[in-house]
Amino acid sequence: MTAKSAELPASFASGSVLARRNPTVKLALLFVVSLAMVFIFDPVTPAVLYVVALAAVVASTRLPLRTLALGHVPFLAFGLGILMVNALSRPGYILWDAGPLRITAEGLSVGGSLALRTLVIGILAIGFIASTDGVALMGSLHQHARLGSRITYAVLAGYRMLQEMPREWQTIRQAHAVRAQLRPDGSLPSGLAAYGRAAFALLVVSVRKGERMAQSLESRGLGLTPRTTWRKIPLTRTDWLMAAAVLAVLGGIVYASHVLGFLEGYDALFS
Amino acid sequence: MSTSSGPARTRSSWSLKDLVLLVVLGVVFGFLYWVFVQAWTALSLLMGPAGDLSQHFLAGSWLLVAPIAIAIVQRPFAGVIAEVLASVIEVVFLGSAVGPLLFIAAAIQGIGSEIPFAATRYRSYSWLTYALSGLLGAGLVFFYSAFRSGWYGQDLFFTRLVIHLISGVVLGGLLAKVIVDALAKTGVVDNFAIGRARLGKTNAR
Repeated sequence: MTAKSAELPASFASGSVLARRNPTVKLALLFVVSLAMVFIFDPVTPAVLYVVALAAVVASTRLPLRTLALGHVPFLAFGLGILMVNALSRPGYILWDAGPLRITAEGLSVGGSLALRTLVIGILAIGFIASTDGVALMGSLHQHARLGSRITYAVLAGYRMLQEMPREWQTIRQAHAVRAQLRPDGSLPSGLAAYGRAAFALLVVSVRKGERMAQSLESRGLGLTPRTTWRKIPLTRTDWLMAAAVLAVLGGIVYASHVLGFLEGYDALFS
Repeated sequence: MSTSSGPARTRSSWSLKDLVLLVVLGVVFGFLYWVFVQAWTALSLLMGPAGDLSQHFLAGSWLLVAPIAIAIVQRPFAGVIAEVLASVIEVVFLGSAVGPLLFIAAAIQGIGSEIPFAATRYRSYSWLTYALSGLLGAGLVFFYSAFRSGWYGQDLFFTRLVIHLISGVVLGGLLAKVIVDALAKTGVVDNFAIGRARLGKTNAR
């Protein structure tokens, strides 16, 4: 939680093939695929989907391997936890046991499926975030998804605030440090209470700043209709082609998995 | 005077000030979660299989935004909108690993947290209302998460549920009241519905 680690994620893949696609279409596709994954409970289908998604993201964003690998750390950690909990805590055919601990075949299968699901959604989310500018996304949602202008600009104002927040946080922590009562050994008080105080100060400062922001937005005539947009976000035929291709690949893999007998739905949890 | 949640107000559109406040709450808590999650990921890596279970201890803290927003703005849907906006900021600007399914979880949490306040027609802000808000918010989203993460059929199901609900009441309910009362005392929210209600009592303006 040092100042160094408080750098917000930035987009790396600007200018790549995926970065030129319409943000709303990308978000909608990410949503549809994530939703479809929720109904798949066998390990084979998500494994195939993961390989395909990884290949597609690498090809279309040209992210450096190091960035990709680092991005995988939280999903891998989370997935590993899910795999272990399921392997140990699901009744079924026992593969291995020692005292109260036992590993079941069903647990491994379901756990593997859920872990791979986090990887599929994870790699797609990495691709989306790396290739999408948040401001362009909000503009596109306003243009193409009929998001109201007041909500759009309120979120954009919030985004601006978010960008300044690491610095604000550092300022508050330093201001507290200057006035803090040192402990007997001369070190600064740290720990939960100190962080709590800083967090509350951040909340108060931000609420006050937000009120000023709202006033200045309103005084500049936000909320008046009709509005025009300066930088139009393009929505082209290529975007629709990409959407069709992604959905076709998803449907094709799920169908093939069903025909080959790998696909399992929600019932896998209780078999 | 100060009954700011009459039916006449609900039909009028949201003021920009209230909308920005909801976004600000989402940004601040999104940022704090994000600072916190960085530490959290390392911790859950170390805990191995227990890491998956440990998420329930802190589950309630994800609910905080909704009751705080409702208490300050005192309008219908404030909780739901605040939760969804917070999730948008987490996914779009902070790159949350959960992806856009977080929007659905956030909406369900917001609905759960909002029901107890809606039941009092946004008039009661007692400890009990906050506790119920945390309980319902955590309870509703638990069943969604259980479906999404396949917790059904696990031996641990009830352990998860109990930890999750207790966390909801304490971190997602009671803590919200502590924060709201402290915020009100600083005076920064005096220009919102909560301030009108508070100041209205002492010197009827």
